[in-house]
Amino acid sequence: MIPLLILTPLILLAALGAVWKARPVHAALLLALTLAMTAVLYLSIGADFIGLVQFMVYVGAVAVLIVFSLLITRPGDEAEELVRRPKSLATGLVCTLPVLGVLVFQVSRLANPAALVVEPRAVSVEKLGITLFTTHAPAVITVAVLLTAVMIGAALFARDPGKKPHTPSDS
Amino acid sequence: MTPLALLLTLSSVLFTLGLFAVLTRRNAILILVGIELMLNSANINFIAFWRYGPPDPELTGPMFVLFSIAIAAAEAAVGLAIILMVFRHTRSTDLNKLDSLHG
Repeated sequence: MIPLLILTPLILLAALGAVWKARPVHAALLLALTLAMTAVLYLSIGADFIGLVQFMVYVGAVAVLIVFSLLITRPGDEAEELVRRPKSLATGLVCTLPVLGVLVFQVSRLANPAALVVEPRAVSVEKLGITLFTTHAPAVITVAVLLTAVMIGAALFARDPGKKPHTPSDS
Repeated sequence: MTPLALLLTLSSVLFTLGLFAVLTRRNAILILVGIELMLNSANINFIAFWRYGPPDPELTGPMFVLFSIAIAAAEAAVGLAIILMVFRHTRSTDLNKLDSLHG
């Protein structure tokens, strides 16, 4: 419980920074920090493998991809500051505060917490692997196809259309 | 507050922050940051219910999170490729300037 009490405010602060910071690079780095601390949260409650996957995929791939895109697109700091756009700020607050209210209200109504199991529970990687490749094998194959399609699609989108393909006869 | 309620509250606030970013940011990449926060909050929910919920020998929670992380990575890759393509055409990632289809 103590790691949770320490990590929860840190995660929330980092996420708030990711949402609020005017400079895009700061926001992206704070997102990386949020995701990394979530990985530590998973490690601290016994979901070791998921924590490591979160660290490698989210922090190592997604956050770095976002930072690189920011470097490529050079967005500058043009008036991203929310304080200078009160209309946007008001719209955002009006749309999100009711959502937060409903969610927190539902969590506070959570039925009988004493009935819930809290003894340490760890996921063994062996069991996870067996379940993944027996019960969930069709889903694994589907995700493999999806990732292949995404790789081809992203390469097609990101390639420079103005550039002619290099052929051996050019040289 | 029980650990489950704490994690669910954390995930609710993270989801709301992500939604706020999606609604208020103008840079397309920062909107993607908000979407990542929302996906992450859903993962926290799955892990919280697996860890503090009734026993689950099928490991449904961690399985869902594994697939969700894979799909989030795919979504980020395609999203950023599209943003790069848009940037190449308009020299901007500001969504307010992308109004050539407004009719």
